[in-house]
Amino acid sequence: MLINLFMERRHFLKQSTLASCLFFVPDFVKAFESVTKDALGYKKLVIIQLSGGNDGLNTVIPFKNDVYYKNRPSISIPESTIIKLTDELGFNENLRPLKNLYDKGYLSIINNVGYPNPDRSHFRSTDIWQTASNSNEYLDTGWLGRYIEAYGKTPYSGIELDDSLSLVMKGKTMNGIATKNPKVLYSNMQTPYFKKVLEQQTDAHLSEHNLGYLYKTMIEAKSSAKYIYETSNTYSSKQEYPNNPFGKQLKTTAEFINSHLSSKVYYVSMGGFDTHANQENRQKRLLNTYSESMEVFVKDLEQNDTFKDTLILTFSEFGRRLKQNAAAGTDHGAANNVFIIGKHLNKQGFYNEAPDLLNLDDNRDIKHTIDFRSIYATILDKWLKVNDERILNKSFSKLNFIV
Amino acid sequence: MNQRHIQHLYLRAGFGLGYNQLKDLIYKSKHEIVSNLFLEAETFQPLELDLSEFDYILNSDSMKLFMGMDRMKLQALNKKSRKKVVELNYAWINRMKNPKSTLNEKMTLFWANVFVCKDNTIWHIQEYNNTLRKHALGNFRDFVKAIAKAPSMSKYLNNRQNIKGSPNENFARELMELFTLGVGNYTEQDIKESARAFTGWSFKKDGTFFLRRNKHDFGEKTFFGETGNFDGDDIIDIILEQRQCAKFICSKIYTYFVNPVINEAKLEELTTIFYKDYDIKNLMQHILNSDWFYDEENIGVKIKSPIELLVGIQKTVPVKFLVKKQLLYLQKMMGQILLDPPNVAGWKGDKSWIDSNTLMFRLKLPSLILNDAVINLEEKGTFKDTFEDYYNKEKNRRRFIKTEKSWDVFNKEYEKITPEELKKILVISTIDLDTSAMLYNLKIENNKDFCIQLMSIPEYQLC
Repeated sequence: MLINLFMERRHFLKQSTLASCLFFVPDFVKAFESVTKDALGYKKLVIIQLSGGNDGLNTVIPFKNDVYYKNRPSISIPESTIIKLTDELGFNENLRPLKNLYDKGYLSIINNVGYPNPDRSHFRSTDIWQTASNSNEYLDTGWLGRYIEAYGKTPYSGIELDDSLSLVMKGKTMNGIATKNPKVLYSNMQTPYFKKVLEQQTDAHLSEHNLGYLYKTMIEAKSSAKYIYETSNTYSSKQEYPNNPFGKQLKTTAEFINSHLSSKVYYVSMGGFDTHANQENRQKRLLNTYSESMEVFVKDLEQNDTFKDTLILTFSEFGRRLKQNAAAGTDHGAANNVFIIGKHLNKQGFYNEAPDLLNLDDNRDIKHTIDFRSIYATILDKWLKVNDERILNKSFSKLNFIV
Repeated sequence: MNQRHIQHLYLRAGFGLGYNQLKDLIYKSKHEIVSNLFLEAETFQPLELDLSEFDYILNSDSMKLFMGMDRMKLQALNKKSRKKVVELNYAWINRMKNPKSTLNEKMTLFWANVFVCKDNTIWHIQEYNNTLRKHALGNFRDFVKAIAKAPSMSKYLNNRQNIKGSPNENFARELMELFTLGVGNYTEQDIKESARAFTGWSFKKDGTFFLRRNKHDFGEKTFFGETGNFDGDDIIDIILEQRQCAKFICSKIYTYFVNPVINEAKLEELTTIFYKDYDIKNLMQHILNSDWFYDEENIGVKIKSPIELLVGIQKTVPVKFLVKKQLLYLQKMMGQILLDPPNVAGWKGDKSWIDSNTLMFRLKLPSLILNDAVINLEEKGTFKDTFEDYYNKEKNRRRFIKTEKSWDVFNKEYEKITPEELKKILVISTIDLDTSAMLYNLKIENNKDFCIQLMSIPEYQLC
């Protein structure tokens, strides 16, 4: 009964929002407001970038491997503290909350993910992951931007939990939208003067040229901000998230998802992983923050019955070098592990083999055995149910980590 | 020359112009005005910061110096250098507001997004920036050769790691893909062979080029069907023999200076001229003197880059940024930080400047810097930040850009003119019918307020 009332209220709100806009919203905006909800299904994708390059070897530790301990005399994780998962791999003790998800069968760990000729610059490697390009190719659209452009058709199809938009959400003429706080986004679009400009606007004469493009973007931005704010406003999370900015980003994401916003993809970056010096304590805190927040996030979604429709991918732009440096830290490396969290995993626990520390590349870094674009292709095809080749510009072999 | 055409010329060949300057020019002929732009460009005006604090590095035996430095000292030096690079960013923006040669500065900004480069060593990147300035209207052949030997470029595209027997192809690839020919106009074999020709290219401590003879591959190379004992300069000469090179550069010039949509016939016309001698000045003279440059379809159709927008506003109302760092924040939020390109392909420009977030920010920019408006958006943290620093920017919630505005200067120039005239000089694009009606019904208190209002309509984003 309560649920019904709530649903009705939400439905009503949506309807009334739409109605009140009708007076001045141009036709093409009205057209896009109804697209995503119906045509695209209800599966959501949340992507988390551990920005700076997380040290995967001290996250998922090969505790039976002498090579690991020999290369890291002062920063290796002692076997006694490790949360063992298999007879050779275990979690850093700060990932206890993640172990709970692992035990429930909600986590799949894919080892050795990367791409040919890895780039060790944060900027460039992030570009490569965000655009799904080859390492010697420069693309000016992101893979999620291309998805939004081809299938979403509205800026709010993709939301980045930040105040400015990354390349990942940029398409050619349609982009996602960035916001950490829907109220701020909404009020920024509501200044009286903009209102005045837009209130008078009819789209009859808007051209395809740059001026038309500016007006179209402005109208869509305003409409998206309003939709995101008014919809997410109907639900406020009851979970207690860790009191830090990453927890806050996830809380906002949960509110978006649980208010049934029709957005499909969310992007969150968590900073701080560039541990060149004194890595041990820094990474401990980071992993703790990450896993605590993730556990609450999953719980929040579960309680609202949205977890079954949400897939969460965690990656870092590169892993770190096997051999520690002189400052008790690690330098930029290559292949790394990726976490997939969801309810419908085909292969729970470890998806593939542990990294081969005896067979490194020319820089003495871990070699990749799985191309990250195979993960994208799998998600696009099996989860979001769209044509992955159209988005990735070529065909990648698919994996079977999701049903 | 009519007012609209003068404005168009100055927006494209510069960063716009004020009412007084316009009134001075209106009685002159096109030929006179254009010639004067090129005359101003004849004296080279390098942009130079005081770098004397780094003199000791250039004046000492570098091996000994760096060996003697511990990690902390080296880090401190790097930090100092990076700080100066940020200062160069401010100085460059400041230069564009009021340059002795507006055309030369606009060309410099253009080339910086062709020969894209980034370097945190201030004395190298300042020299690089001035190399762009020096060759901006010179000969393209000399220009490419100078770029190929510049220390900053050498580091940026790993040419110092390019040695005989173990070539690094990064520079050779980008030279062809991004600087001269465009993707698809060469083979992988061409890259391999040309990379060998650039092996051993290095630079001395003072930045001058030198060849590490023992690292250079003196063997025979086959490049674009020619075989010989080529070095890097020969490779550049062979690249320039390809008509595609002239076409590639002309298409960049056309989309930047004329129209974001290429007219094939005009591109052909420009390519023919440029291919003859690769003289950049000739090419630009041809464009700015042509009738078609002033066709209505080319006027007010380009989306201003964030820098053009930021500089343009200040050309109308002089502004002093009291907290320099905020100038960096503005660039960051709009997606273009000078001297900090996203990658070697540079900024894509035009429509890609615009998404929901950047457009709202850009429309708000005039009120932010001219009207003490408040904005509550944060910049992204950097990769190097710790977790705390990454999010630390939160403390700056409700940002207020501290500026000193010279409204007296504005008033002297614009107080007496009609709002209609003000509109004409600030907005070059045709104004949307509905917005035009809105402006018509607006109660105009004074030109100062009206100026901010005009700068806040979408049309002001175009030039």
